[in-house]
Amino acid sequence: MLRLTVSRALNGAKSSPTCLSVASRYQSDQKKPDKIEVFIDDKPVLVEPGTTVLQAAAMVGVEIPRFCYHERLAVAGNCRMCLVEVEKSPKPVAACAMPVMKGWRVKTDSEMTRKAREGIMEFLLVNHPLDCPICDQGGECDLQDQSMAFGSDRSRFTDIDFSGKRAVEDKDIGPLVKTIMTRCIHCTRCIRFASEVAGINDLGTTGRGNDMQVGTYIEKLFMSELSGNIIDLCPVGALTSKPYSFTARPWEIRKVDSIDVLDAVGSNIIVSTRTGEVMRIVPRVNEEINEEWLADKSRFAYDGLKRQRLVTPMLRDNNGDLNPVDWEAALITVAKVVKHAGNSIGAIAGGFADAEALIALKDLLNRLGSEHLCTERTFPLDGSGTDLRSSYLLNNKIAAVEEADLVLLVGTNPRFEAPLLNARLRKAWVHNETDVALIGPQVDLTYHYEHLGDDPNVLRKINEGDHEFADKLKRAKKPLIIIGAELLERKDGGALLSTVQNLSTKLNSNEDWKVLNVLHKVASQVAALDIGYNPGIDKIKSADLKVLYLLGADGDHINKEDLPKDCFVIYQGHHGDRGAAIADAVLPGAAYTEKQATYVNTEGRAQQTLVAVSPPGRAREDWKIIRALSEIVGAKLPYDNLNQIRDRLDEIAPHLTRYGNAESANYFKQAAELSKKTESAIDCKPIDVKIKELQDYYMTDSISRASPTMAKCVQAVLKQKQSACN
Amino acid sequence: MTSQAVRKTLKEVKPILSLNRDEARRRVLNLYKTWYRQLPYIVQTYDIPVSVDKCKKKLREEFTKYSESNDIRLVDMLVIKGQMELKEVVNVWKQKGHIMAYFKDTVEPKPKDFLSKFLNGKD
Amino acid sequence: MAKYFGVDKIFAFLRTIKETGGIRASLYKIYRFDNLRPGTLVGTDKFGNKYFENPHYFYGRNRWVEYAPKYGMDYDGSQVPAEWFGWLHYKTDYLPTNDPTRPKYEWMAEHTENMSGTPGQFMPYSTTTPKIQAWVPPKN
Repeated sequence: MLRLTVSRALNGAKSSPTCLSVASRYQSDQKKPDKIEVFIDDKPVLVEPGTTVLQAAAMVGVEIPRFCYHERLAVAGNCRMCLVEVEKSPKPVAACAMPVMKGWRVKTDSEMTRKAREGIMEFLLVNHPLDCPICDQGGECDLQDQSMAFGSDRSRFTDIDFSGKRAVEDKDIGPLVKTIMTRCIHCTRCIRFASEVAGINDLGTTGRGNDMQVGTYIEKLFMSELSGNIIDLCPVGALTSKPYSFTARPWEIRKVDSIDVLDAVGSNIIVSTRTGEVMRIVPRVNEEINEEWLADKSRFAYDGLKRQRLVTPMLRDNNGDLNPVDWEAALITVAKVVKHAGNSIGAIAGGFADAEALIALKDLLNRLGSEHLCTERTFPLDGSGTDLRSSYLLNNKIAAVEEADLVLLVGTNPRFEAPLLNARLRKAWVHNETDVALIGPQVDLTYHYEHLGDDPNVLRKINEGDHEFADKLKRAKKPLIIIGAELLERKDGGALLSTVQNLSTKLNSNEDWKVLNVLHKVASQVAALDIGYNPGIDKIKSADLKVLYLLGADGDHINKEDLPKDCFVIYQGHHGDRGAAIADAVLPGAAYTEKQATYVNTEGRAQQTLVAVSPPGRAREDWKIIRALSEIVGAKLPYDNLNQIRDRLDEIAPHLTRYGNAESANYFKQAAELSKKTESAIDCKPIDVKIKELQDYYMTDSISRASPTMAKCVQAVLKQKQSACN
Repeated sequence: MTSQAVRKTLKEVKPILSLNRDEARRRVLNLYKTWYRQLPYIVQTYDIPVSVDKCKKKLREEFTKYSESNDIRLVDMLVIKGQMELKEVVNVWKQKGHIMAYFKDTVEPKPKDFLSKFLNGKD
Repeated sequence: MAKYFGVDKIFAFLRTIKETGGIRASLYKIYRFDNLRPGTLVGTDKFGNKYFENPHYFYGRNRWVEYAPKYGMDYDGSQVPAEWFGWLHYKTDYLPTNDPTRPKYEWMAEHTENMSGTPGQFMPYSTTTPKIQAWVPPKN
């Protein structure tokens, strides 16, 4: 529905300025009409035709107050806060919805404008409760700020008996978003976000005028993996965060810029802390990655950082119980075992391992003469394997997904594996006429796609050209193939990857456009492969190891049964999960909010987290643990501080320390050439993905498994799916 | 050339108190003697749990700390500082704790190398 | 006459030793309580402490307690229960057994001695939940 209206508008309708503003980005190849000149507060500015007054004002640095307008959403024009005076116009005009005309003189600070704002503000406040002291939005509330700046300086409110003030019943829309609907000012940002970005048409309005209500019509869960964003969008305190409610105030928290590691996208976040405790996580704008959205798991799983933590080193005693010890004892015991093991020591890196810890562990094991360094997640080693970066990156970058005209998803469910990538895909689908096709199990991606079945041989057929989709791909100007890392973990992953590599070299006409894209599921994978870890743990299973070092490896990939009886397992990580349960020695590390560490996202973009809180108890930063152990073992690593270890990273792969940059990879043709040597064939086992539905999304790793909020979400989704009005 | 230039600049340096090394040395010895004579009274007035002998050792230690200083201006400056210190002590502008701060034997030195920093949990 | 020469004091002393239960018991009592006094046993509380009275001594010293043998040398004043406390400190002359004003309710708690310095002592504790909950490894 949404897509039709927008596309119609794109094709020439002049009435809706939203679409024009959105369209201006994509229609760059068309002939540009001449710019027109307008005057904002007597400052001349040249703008494209179709620009709204509000955008023109923003160009000269004049900010017009607004509630309903949001750059990334369609224009609604219903709050009227942006009224400004235009010379020779009898009435004030809504700046957010009105395209400028040639020679207009807009007055954003005239008597009429100010009076209009005061009036609107008065109307809003008449039906807004005076509960700022107990409101979670207090201090970061648009209504508060704007009533201070633009509201009247005196009140005409006389109804102190509370006879007619509007009151609306609160709605229960799930365990993440708390609603206090009396505070709602009907800006409809949440409704627009839900239907445009999240693709969930659950929110809407009922009633008219004073009786208008925003809600879900019938009481139901707001089932979206992006639901937390409506909290940020809400300009008042009508939608607030349930886990964060009544815990902290914006002026008493400290904000630290950081990176999210719960998926491989590497969203930029702000960690808010108070009294050494993470109070909440909100997104930070990064147009290249997450725009200003954040997935629910990244936003709400932070309470998992406070539970099930490893706070002290532990050693297993003769009875088989883990007992807390101090660092000295733990390190000496571990060092003794490591020394005794010689070169039959192996290591597995889990999904949360940072580049510094990865390099330290690799250096240590190499010094001990071992090459058994693996990542938990496997990747096909046939052909060029992981030697060429282009084989395992999301080469075309996340932001460029918007420009694609045909996207083929293979063995992935981006909605839950990388919700923000899926939001981009949906954006492209809505605004850019992008077509999407999927090979894999049929899942709900929030937008329409062509389902090509779950048979992996479809891929082969497309490659050989005897599939109807092959023509479509060939005709596409900017095709994109996104292949899930989970698919490549199959036995025939090598053959699948080689097929896709060949297919994409055939399609690649433009040097800057990269067809082949791999979407990883964990944050550490790209850095680990860049540093030189072997993907997959088969090597570990076959080697007769005496010591196994688990660096946050909590997946169910390795069990005690896979290892020799006398194998000593060391677990270093931050959560007591599967890894710590099988360990003989536990070394407590720091979680991503507690260390300054490098992570490389699925695009190959190196980013760093910063220290928001100190590690709990006796936990230490991960690379320091390995560095300390190396000294006791007698294979001292040559770095003592963060700068030195980053120099070492720089030595191995310079892109790992170029923060914010996504280093692009090349050699697609060579990789495809090498992959032709792959001998294995694609088998007929249907393609499957692990996370198909929303309830599978919430608890996937050691942090989110420890989070009570995420557990509540799973329960809520399951309950909703059973109810009649699903 | 350069040594000449250096000598020239050295010559042009403005003296603080002393014009030559002998004079500076005399000032230092004077200060030392004054402190030395004052020590029994310091022990008495401040009622510190340290014997006069120990104080003498500490005095010597404090002076020999700068035995490497050859710059006359530096020596003069140190003498001035020492005199200021002495005045503060004699006039009881200081308190017991300030005197005892010279005997900081109980203060644990901060960990310097990586491993002890790691074990102490201090960066 | 015997009184004049103080011979009766010797007899009284010997009688006290006899009442106490011999020389050995007397020496032990002196060791425990630092004195040996003749007195009439007026009662025993539920902990086994014995209460004595001897009006021969002056007011303030004529009532005393001999702590139960189980306490050994670890006796102290808090081992006297509340009902005997009043009699022992001359708040009342009634013995707890025949005191008509003494209240007795179901809810009255059992007397406890002062546990300071023993494992049973009160330790203040925080009622706030810890910020970080540590992982407790499963026991075999």
